[in-house]
Amino acid sequence: MTLLDPSLGLPTVYIVDDEDVVRDALAWLLRSRRLLSEGFASAEAFEAAAEQRAEARAGDWPNAPACVLLDVRMPGMSGLALFERLIERGWLESLPVIFLTGHGDVPTAVAAVKRGAFDFVEKPFSNNALVDRVEQALLASAQALTQRRQHHDVAQRLADLTERERDVMQLVVTGRPNKLIADELNISVRTVEVHRARIFEKMGVKSAVELSNCLRSAGQEPV
Amino acid sequence: MWAALLMLLAVVQGLLVMLTVSFESSRAQDEAEAVALEVAGETKRQVTRGIQDLQPLTWPAITPLEWDVRAEQLLQSRRELLRLERRGPGGAISSLAESRYGPPLFTRLRRSDVEPEIDTACSLARRAAAPAFTRSYYVPFEGGTGVEVMDLCVPLLSEGRMTGFLVATWSLPQLLESALGAAPAGRHELSLVESDGSRLARAGTRRGVGVYVAERIVDLPARSLVLRADSSAGRPSLIPNLAVALVLGLSVALTVLALLLARDFRRRAQAEAALAEALAFRKAMEDSLSTGLRARDLDGRITYVNPAFCAMVGFPAEALLGTAVPPYWPAERVQEYTQRQAARLAPRAADEPASSPTRAGREGFETLFVRRDGERIPVMIYEAPLVDGNGVQTGWMSAVLDVTDQRRVEELSRQQQERLQASARLATVGEMASLLSHELNQPLAAIASYASASLNMLEQPDAHTPGLLREAMQRVGEQAERAGRVIRSVHDFVRRRDQHQEPVGCGALLDAVLPLVRLQARKSGARIELDLPEAVPAVRCDRTMVEQVLLNLARNGIQAMETATPLAQRVLRLGVRQRHARWVEFSVTDAGGGIGPEVAERLFTPFFSTRAEGMGLGLSLCRTVVEQHGGALEFESPVHAEHAPGSCPGTRFRFTLPTA
Repeated sequence: MTLLDPSLGLPTVYIVDDEDVVRDALAWLLRSRRLLSEGFASAEAFEAAAEQRAEARAGDWPNAPACVLLDVRMPGMSGLALFERLIERGWLESLPVIFLTGHGDVPTAVAAVKRGAFDFVEKPFSNNALVDRVEQALLASAQALTQRRQHHDVAQRLADLTERERDVMQLVVTGRPNKLIADELNISVRTVEVHRARIFEKMGVKSAVELSNCLRSAGQEPV
Repeated sequence: MWAALLMLLAVVQGLLVMLTVSFESSRAQDEAEAVALEVAGETKRQVTRGIQDLQPLTWPAITPLEWDVRAEQLLQSRRELLRLERRGPGGAISSLAESRYGPPLFTRLRRSDVEPEIDTACSLARRAAAPAFTRSYYVPFEGGTGVEVMDLCVPLLSEGRMTGFLVATWSLPQLLESALGAAPAGRHELSLVESDGSRLARAGTRRGVGVYVAERIVDLPARSLVLRADSSAGRPSLIPNLAVALVLGLSVALTVLALLLARDFRRRAQAEAALAEALAFRKAMEDSLSTGLRARDLDGRITYVNPAFCAMVGFPAEALLGTAVPPYWPAERVQEYTQRQAARLAPRAADEPASSPTRAGREGFETLFVRRDGERIPVMIYEAPLVDGNGVQTGWMSAVLDVTDQRRVEELSRQQQERLQASARLATVGEMASLLSHELNQPLAAIASYASASLNMLEQPDAHTPGLLREAMQRVGEQAERAGRVIRSVHDFVRRRDQHQEPVGCGALLDAVLPLVRLQARKSGARIELDLPEAVPAVRCDRTMVEQVLLNLARNGIQAMETATPLAQRVLRLGVRQRHARWVEFSVTDAGGGIGPEVAERLFTPFFSTRAEGMGLGLSLCRTVVEQHGGALEFESPVHAEHAPGSCPGTRFRFTLPTA
């Protein structure tokens, strides 16, 4: 768990299974490996809880690394149906799904993995191997989360720039010197220098190269 | 065509009749000509002779008395002479004699009235110094009759000097009569006519009809007459004439015959057309039938097959006709079929009602044929006696239906039913297995998880560890208990089946499975033999379970024979024996490939199967069922310790059940 950045929050494993015994035993197992878990007796219950939390945080959910251990067969909404909902919601990247299958459901589980599920584990499962996979899933979730945060951060800083600053920035990331930028925008070199300093400050970078990298990683390619 | 023929016939007939008639007419004409010629000649001769007879009267030296005597004699001998006169050179009559055979001549007509005629003739005679005739004239008698006469003037010469005339009056009718006396005229009327056509005298027994007329000129001194012969035969009439009648009759008969023939021919043609049509209809009907038709004579030889039948068995009709053992009989069943046929074709017993074969035929029977390509086809045969026009049975007529499709459907439904039964049967096993796996899976998985968790915790123990471990162990215990309950419920379920045991007759057990077994056997071409002694006691068993065991063993046996065993040897024997006072033994014996030692070892192991699609539960389940009843399931292969090298070793399964 050392790979996980504590700033991202406490990782949580959501267990969705209709069998109380399974949920309880898995919770014990995860706890013995120092992992928090939360049990849901049905797909509907989990979906409802997720909706509620996402709404409370204005869509910014999950806000900490998480993964779902999902039973394929359940009364009511099946594990696969729930999986489809998660894809629709776009949650799958930050909320990897590991399917728990009975011996008859392997082809279904394989198909699900092809659709983007993290993995499937056949019951009865090898316990610590399952926890290993869970940790990997949490790691993937954390990465996705970090990336999402970065995007969010860059987008916010860009929003703080004035119109003039944005024009200057677009020329700065192309690597042009201040003199050329001043000529192009028909302003004084001195003014360009002031804008550049403010841009670097607002975007939290120290150089034009750093600025360019930041924009690229956040998916904001300079025009 | 018929009209032309009839017309031709009519023309020929007409020509024939015409020829006959014209022949008849020419014959009649010829006859008339001949008569005329002869009578004319005779008349001439009579006249010449008459003139010769007159010679004595012309002698110059004759005395009047002598002349009278001679004249009298002459008138008597020649009736045609009616009067003789002797005249002087001036024409005065010196002597006169008249015939006594007729009335006196010149009573109404005076002699002087005809003197000019005589003068003319006499002057002619004097100039020619030869006799000459006057023209004829009619002398009427008292009473309306009369006679046509001619006078002959003969000059009397004495020493070259004319001394007078002899005048003889000739009766023309008498002249004709005397000529006829010498020359018979037959069926002709003869008459003397003048050149102007007026008739002077007639003779002959019949009257002429004026059709066949012949005329001849009779030359008389200084005068000529015409003799006419008129045949009494009229224009040849058709009917009285025999030849014509015959020809006519024949033609009429021929015409009638031709008409009758034509009508008969037309009727025949109509009948033939109708027959041909009926035949064509029948043929079309037979050809279009999808039912096979086969006729056999009383010896069982095939006398007729229709195309549908040929198509069904794949042999051409020529290959089938006349055969007593047809090629479509399966080789291994020829004997059986022959016996069956003999029994069926045997003349029925006298007391048997006549309708029974018909009824049997209606019901039909099922049998197996082999197509030419070797395919076996089940067929349904309906047979009825073939009776000819005289009511005598000449053979058997069979309608043959190919029931392959029907069997296929039956087989399909049987398989479905079997599958259904199998799944129902497996419901016990499968349901149990599924129940077990699910019910046991959860607690076992949970136990494993708790155990792993406990181990994980022990790796890095802290103050909470002992409490947590205790809790974990408690949960392990709970789950273990839950698993135990599952096992117990399965045991209860098995025990509950024991209560279904009841006394069942062995025959009833076999009867229950036989239909299914027979269906399967028919599919594989195997035969079923039963060995069920009457005196076997009933057994106490769970009927459904034991039926499943029997079915299972029988099906295994049949399937074992499907590959290696020749068709003729595929026999499955189902037997029942009382082995002991308390035990009845059932046996299922096949003639299959037997069971090798390596297979035998694992035969009753669950999930072991020699068949690809087999579940491998059949025999182990069978053994469980039998053992639940307290019996034992065993097998022996080969069936006989020393089996012939070429034959199949076979396998016998035996199991025992307690008597009721």
